Amino acid sequence: MLFIDLIAQGLVQGSIYALVALGLTLVYGLLRILHVAHAALFTLGGYIGVLVTNQFDSLGLAMVVAILVSGFAGVLMYRLCYEPILHRPPFVALIASIGLFIASEEIFRIAFGAYGMSYKNPPLQAQVVIGFLSFKQAELLVMIGGALIIGVLALLQSKTRLGIACQATVTDPQMAESFGIDLKKVRYVNFFIGSGLAGMAGVMVALLNNLVEPTMGSVPSYKALAIIVLGGLGSVPGTLMAAMTLGVVESFGTIYLGKLLDRNAIAFAFLILVLMVRPQGLFARK
Amino acid sequence: MKPLLSVKNVTVRFGGLTAVDDVSFDVRPGELLGLIGPNGAGKTTMMRAIVGVVRPTLGSVFLEELALNALPIDARIRAGLALSQQLVKPFREISVQDNVAFAAASRKTRTPATALLHVDARLERQSALDALTQVGIATYADQSPKTQPLGILKRLEMARALALKPKLLLLDEPLAGLNSGEAYALAQTIAEVNRQGMTIILIEHNLSEVMRICQRLVVLDNGRKIADTLPKDAMSDPAVQMAYLGGDKHAAD
Amino acid sequence: MEYEISLVTAAGISVLFALSLNLITGFCGQISLGHAAFFGIGAYCSAMLCKAGMPFLLTLPFAMLLAGGVGVVVGLASLRVRADFLAITTMGVGFLFVGVVRQQDVLGGEMGISGIPDTGFSKLAFMTLTLVLCVAAALFSQYIRRSWMGQVFNAIAEDEDTTRVLGIDVPRFKLAAFAMGTALAGLAGALYANNLKFISPDSFGFIESMTVLSMVVIGGIGSVLGVTAAAVVLSLLPSMFTFIGDYKLLVYGGLLFLMMRFSPDGVTGAVNRLMAKGKR
Repeated sequence: MLFIDLIAQGLVQGSIYALVALGLTLVYGLLRILHVAHAALFTLGGYIGVLVTNQFDSLGLAMVVAILVSGFAGVLMYRLCYEPILHRPPFVALIASIGLFIASEEIFRIAFGAYGMSYKNPPLQAQVVIGFLSFKQAELLVMIGGALIIGVLALLQSKTRLGIACQATVTDPQMAESFGIDLKKVRYVNFFIGSGLAGMAGVMVALLNNLVEPTMGSVPSYKALAIIVLGGLGSVPGTLMAAMTLGVVESFGTIYLGKLLDRNAIAFAFLILVLMVRPQGLFARK
Repeated sequence: MKPLLSVKNVTVRFGGLTAVDDVSFDVRPGELLGLIGPNGAGKTTMMRAIVGVVRPTLGSVFLEELALNALPIDARIRAGLALSQQLVKPFREISVQDNVAFAAASRKTRTPATALLHVDARLERQSALDALTQVGIATYADQSPKTQPLGILKRLEMARALALKPKLLLLDEPLAGLNSGEAYALAQTIAEVNRQGMTIILIEHNLSEVMRICQRLVVLDNGRKIADTLPKDAMSDPAVQMAYLGGDKHAAD
Repeated sequence: MEYEISLVTAAGISVLFALSLNLITGFCGQISLGHAAFFGIGAYCSAMLCKAGMPFLLTLPFAMLLAGGVGVVVGLASLRVRADFLAITTMGVGFLFVGVVRQQDVLGGEMGISGIPDTGFSKLAFMTLTLVLCVAAALFSQYIRRSWMGQVFNAIAEDEDTTRVLGIDVPRFKLAAFAMGTALAGLAGALYANNLKFISPDSFGFIESMTVLSMVVIGGIGSVLGVTAAAVVLSLLPSMFTFIGDYKLLVYGGLLFLMMRFSPDGVTGAVNRLMAKGKR
């Protein structure tokens, strides 16, 4: 009983990690930049979710607004921050991103206070029973919603013109350009989708914990980095599997190793161990 | 005479592709050996197996008595190989002379401890100047590599390799990208360096220069050695003619 | 006077910490996002030994050895992964350190270690010791730069593969950089612990790793003078402008971003460019 429960919990966490990590992997696959500031959009989505729901009493509206705002904010980040430094060595973008992330966490703290906000009437908190397991509606939303979106994304990537264009810009930008693919547009779209996903994840997490606070992005951002490394940078299916794996590993790890390591340490210990055995990542295609 | 380098039955496979197939040849001290073949013949892979960038699937490479197979690249270089790369990559923030002096300092940079204990660069700078003179670009000593044309950079690559005082010099397509006048001049320099006693393996596409300066040719096609002859006999060898003029070409490189 | 002395001591410790990272990231080009872990190892090592009765000065070499030893292990691990992964692996090490220390009651758990015994030095003497060690570290860094080791580090930072083709045992040199940088961080940590008399896991987390990285980056990667200046300014900034205190992280993050966006070679790079322009 405990076993299945742990797996279920792990999958819920994993779904959240997956949503955040996906945006990150899309950006890495495209630009070879580790876009740490991505998690700021996660936090942004969370705050918007709570604010809009509290104001207009509609979770659906909140979700849409959060996705749109995060999406555009992400594109803005690309335009202002990354585009001008694409030609520099990769560590420049990484450090710039980290600086941006730290600054944005502080801005959230200054704007909204350090103690966070909650829903006035938290939606989707009712319990649903399936077989042995009992989930909150919100948890089901996270898992199913996450799975749906990832499935749609994977389909888009391989079947539509836009998706194939995205892949082309990664493997050979110059060739892609000569085929008439607008690099800028592809990149904007990528950032929009990835950032929108993060915003959505933020709303969902806010539902799970009924709390948004300025540092809620930290842990997902670092974990997301670990996940995309595990999953083989740039691979959507790899990222998904790695996210789920990490969620489950953490779930079991905190129970069995909790005396020795805290949750984050377990995640990173797992990452380091995997990298030692398989330096290219767990699910990377050689 | 004992060979300086012995390539024994080397096979290199990547997944399902066989890039080099049971190739053996020797290099004698003082030789200028040309390693040629059409595109995709496996020359680059063969060179990579000698230098240590790839591990042979089968077979082994010996430098005099020393088995190279287990050694990483830097160990092979310290054992006496030197490589002049096809894509020239000088250190951009230091002068031409300092680039070569860095290579000349190989004794002092053997270990971190020795490197830490040595500050003086005068000996190495002098060695560098000697190497630069040998390849004919001593006047460029104080220049920055960032502003030099390809011809000068190719000579810088060679000078860096020579400054290592190797037993065997591997030149990977040194004439690529040069016009016919520059290629002729660089080929002359290579021949001169060989005349002064350096053993050289030359991998090249530019057949006219190769024919002119090499003393022996090893010809690869589709991963196999198809000829090991004097230059004047190579072009009349039917197998070589087939390789260059007819038949299928696979991109194995 | 007491306030000024404590400020200078704190700044000195920051400088030492920043110079230690400069050896790894600045000179040798290996990005480390978990350097605070080694600062922490030195701090905890010295704190525990002092509480057990060892004289303060004697704990310093132990702190350096332990931090440097773990540094070599991490360095060995880092050799296996490529550049992108190195940043994340070192970040992982940082989290691992905090995560482990937090759960060990023998190390004080979440509350940390308090009541670290008196060092026997007066405030002024401690400050002097810190400054002496700072100057020594700076001089050592400059010496490394001028030596052949510095040349090798530069080469590795610019083009690792070509450096190997020139016969340099690159992994060994990277390990040397890690060993020296982490040992020095351990020393800084030991000083930190004995200055504050109290340490907790929170002081050695990701934010602290980013703070010290920002000192190296803003100063100008590799430049001893630049890094020293940046460390002094950034550590004193919150006290100089007390209203900044609350916004300290915002300033660090913002500066980090702006610097990378507009002048990736730091203040040193910007100054060099200005001077070159002035000459014309």
